Amino acid sequence: MEKQMTNKIKVFRAMRNMTQEDLADKIGVTRQTIIAIEKNKYVPSLELAFKIADEFNEKIENVFEYK
Amino acid sequence: MTYKQFKIMRVLIASFISATVAMAIVYNNILLSLAGVLIGILFIFLVHKKTKAVLVDERIKSIGGKAARLTYTISTITIAFLSLMFTMTGKHTGQADYEMLGILLSYIALFNLALYSLSYKFISKKYGEADDE
Repeated sequence: MEKQMTNKIKVFRAMRNMTQEDLADKIGVTRQTIIAIEKNKYVPSLELAFKIADEFNEKIENVFEYK
Repeated sequence: MTYKQFKIMRVLIASFISATVAMAIVYNNILLSLAGVLIGILFIFLVHKKTKAVLVDERIKSIGGKAARLTYTISTITIAFLSLMFTMTGKHTGQADYEMLGILLSYIALFNLALYSLSYKFISKKYGEADDE
């Protein structure tokens, strides 16, 4: 089976009571982009992935997985 | 200005431009349409500046790039096919107009290809192509 990127953004958001709009505003993207990343329909750039992990104060490997 | 307000303003400006151009056509006044379009562009520019929400991000740019590539492929193939059809029809029927149109379209297709190659080369260089070490 082909490997693919998955993420736990939704989980980390819920833990911090953060809406998709809040996260989008903080990292400078549209809400649609957050929705697409959460649904694994769009793979973010390395820079954006780091920004998201940084926003949650987590390491990138805790937020994103490749398996 | 939020993204929702921006979308409303965009629709209003588009309606204004359409209405002015329609009026210009009815009254046969080219200056009116020109003024309408220019004012519309100015307003769009101001609204863009006033909007604090993010309007373009990497996903939107990526979609734009893919759409542009698809448009380029479809338009170039269509123009090349039409040019071939017109040139062959012109040659068979002896109508010089068709043949000329075919040749013109083939030049447009070639121009498209050349422009794509040049912009590809330029952008590729910008992102560090062939940096031999």
